Amino acid sequence: MRSLTLHLKLLIAILVVLGISVTAYQIFVLGIPVTEDATDDLWNIDAKVEFVASAKDPVKIQMFVPPLSRDYVSLNESFISNNYGVSVNRVDGNRKVTWSARRAKGNQTLYYRLVLTKRYTAEKAKIKGPTFRDSIAVEGPEKLAAEALLAPIRQHSADVETFISEAIKRVNNSNDDNAKMLLAGDPTPAHKAKIVELLLSIAHVPVEKVHTIRLVADQPQTPELWLRSFNGTDWLYFNPETGEQGLPTDRLLWWTGDENLITVDGGKKATVTFSMNNSEMNAIRLAKLTDENTDANFLEYSLYGLPLQTQQTFMIMVMIPIGVLVILVLRNLIGLQTLGTFTPVLIALAFRETQLGFGIVLFTIITALGLSLRSYLEHLKLQMLPRLSVVLTFVVVLIAAISLFSHKLGLERGLSVALFPMVILTMTIERLSITWEERGASHAMKVAIGTLFAATLAHLIMTIPELVYFVFTFPAILLIMVGFMLAMGRYRGYRLTELVRFKAFLKKADA
Amino acid sequence: MFGFWKTWKALEARGIMGINRRNADYVLKYNKRSLYPIVDDKIITKERAIAAGIHVPQLYGIISTEKEIDKLGEIIGGHTDFVIKPAQGAGGDGIIVIADRFEGRYRTVSGKIVGHEELEHHISSILTGLYSLGGHRDRALIEYRVIPDQIFKSISYEGVPDIRIIVLMGYPVMAMLRLPTRQSGGKANLHQGAIGVGVDLATGLTLRGTWLNNIINKHPDTTNAVDGVQLPYWDGFMKLAAGCYELCGLGYIGVDMVLDQEKGPLILELNARPGLNIQIANDCGLTLRTHAVEARLEDLKARGVSESVEERVAFVQEMFGHIPPVEG
Repeated sequence: MRSLTLHLKLLIAILVVLGISVTAYQIFVLGIPVTEDATDDLWNIDAKVEFVASAKDPVKIQMFVPPLSRDYVSLNESFISNNYGVSVNRVDGNRKVTWSARRAKGNQTLYYRLVLTKRYTAEKAKIKGPTFRDSIAVEGPEKLAAEALLAPIRQHSADVETFISEAIKRVNNSNDDNAKMLLAGDPTPAHKAKIVELLLSIAHVPVEKVHTIRLVADQPQTPELWLRSFNGTDWLYFNPETGEQGLPTDRLLWWTGDENLITVDGGKKATVTFSMNNSEMNAIRLAKLTDENTDANFLEYSLYGLPLQTQQTFMIMVMIPIGVLVILVLRNLIGLQTLGTFTPVLIALAFRETQLGFGIVLFTIITALGLSLRSYLEHLKLQMLPRLSVVLTFVVVLIAAISLFSHKLGLERGLSVALFPMVILTMTIERLSITWEERGASHAMKVAIGTLFAATLAHLIMTIPELVYFVFTFPAILLIMVGFMLAMGRYRGYRLTELVRFKAFLKKADA
Repeated sequence: MFGFWKTWKALEARGIMGINRRNADYVLKYNKRSLYPIVDDKIITKERAIAAGIHVPQLYGIISTEKEIDKLGEIIGGHTDFVIKPAQGAGGDGIIVIADRFEGRYRTVSGKIVGHEELEHHISSILTGLYSLGGHRDRALIEYRVIPDQIFKSISYEGVPDIRIIVLMGYPVMAMLRLPTRQSGGKANLHQGAIGVGVDLATGLTLRGTWLNNIINKHPDTTNAVDGVQLPYWDGFMKLAAGCYELCGLGYIGVDMVLDQEKGPLILELNARPGLNIQIANDCGLTLRTHAVEARLEDLKARGVSESVEERVAFVQEMFGHIPPVEG
């Protein structure tokens, strides 16, 4: 007996440790999110290109598209254009799409669509950039103004970073005559950026124009200009109007350099409008989608490796042990009386088709009608099998009738009843009626309500989305549950209802 | 929550056995699964008992197929009263007790008149397994109807009162007299509304009773006091029960016996999962007594001896008997 207990304890310990360690490995090493709420933003960016094609010439449109070098992963990219040939090529760290057509006429619309998300696993690629450049030649008053500006900048800065920052601030200072002179009455960000570039080039600090798109949903926008410089290890980004350093996280780098976003040959009035929206997606599914780009291979050997259809089935199946556990606790710890051991779990499974409230109503109606039929059959003195067959057929007819009736009434919910397990209902009716005859109506009611209660509870617990996700993603949890079930197998304490049942003892003791 | 915990502790201190403990520590530990058919099938129990020379109600006949139902009349023969039982019935379900004949029909013990066809249908139901434990095919047995001793007349309502003794490894640990009531429909099962009355193992004097989990002193139908009744042949009952361990080999059983007015103590059936209400009837927890018996068994095992039926009965009577009558 003792060795058996030791054996059992060891087994439980092994199962629980195994379950916990596998789950912990999944969570902490593989980094699988613990809840389904761990969603990632998914951005859907549309760039709509409109222009008027001139009838004579062949048309060639070139537009920059995001290079997606780091931080972001593209899930889907499409170029929507009917008669145009499409080619994408990389130029100096930029990506450019070229649409071309021999003949086009009138208003033309092309679409570029990109679906992207933040990179699921952050693995920084090596980056490099220039750290030195030649000065841009300037002459005359501009040269004097530039040098006059540079002197205080040098004084107020310690390194490249602060130097650039200071330079931008000086250029943006509208009270500075030197800056005003350089800007020559054109205070657009583009021009300011150009002046900043000029200033910095004199100090041999390379700086680059960066055009970004802000990831904000449902807001029309145009590319925003930023400046960046390479400090030897990383790019430093600067706002050309404030000198603020650091690119906000919601900016998506679209292209770099001085060129315009779009160039059109054989057409005019080209405009590009951006529109974007975001949706949230389960991190797991996202990881699946970005599989090729990231190291989400670990998902191959989880239940997520199954075809989607099968996954749905398993999502229900892995919850059955949870339902059984509920019944186990209700029966052995609480002492609730139910019809059969696993009938409540099966009824709970049926509830997911019918929805809870409707399921309970249906169960009650069908069982009540079935019971009355059963009590009528009792008078006919039939043998068990024929009687059961009659009840089963009656249940089928009843279900068909309810389906038809509710369909006519426009209640689509009623159709789901077809999947209500008829055999379970039949057996429930049969056993309930036997209980009724032998133990009386009150006991039968008690058992029926107990069954319904257990089924409801099991159903509610089995359909908690977080729990379904958790068990489905970390199936090793089932091992821990088996450990608990094993422990329950040798539980010898009182059931909750026994505390009430044996109350008579205590009344006496108190008296 | 705290209240429950207090109740829990109090029950534990009194040695009250719960279902989980009964199943884990006694039923699963002492009752070998392969021996269950001996107690689950009343026909096998009866055959074993007859072979061991233990008194049981006389068997008139067995019906095991539909075709044999035709022989019902033949089996009944000239008996005016008899009992039809499913061999593997549970909890006294499916039992018909015929007390008399009436104009070619039968009168049950509760006065209901039934025809021959109804009896045949009932047997057919038994055969299809309606009353058997697992719902599988069963046999019906027709046997002698026990007529309870006159001693029970004042404290029972119809039916046959029986005596349930719980026996652990051949040591009777607790006894109870079960009295049918109007509510139980003449059946002696506590969950159907019969009264359980504790019995002093040494003297055979009844203690107070339990009815639907409450403690009572009077029979609800006859209003006669149920305590302080001296059961006749008490030592005979004790020895009969103790001997059932050798009969079936199961270590933890409930032995159901009756006192027939002519034939004396008879064994009705054995139960491998005896209920726990006997504790309320005796106002005493089972665990304390079973632990005492288990300690005794350890001790005997260490000394390498085993006790006879008489020695075992003497031990438990000394150990658990002579309970002083309770006040009030």
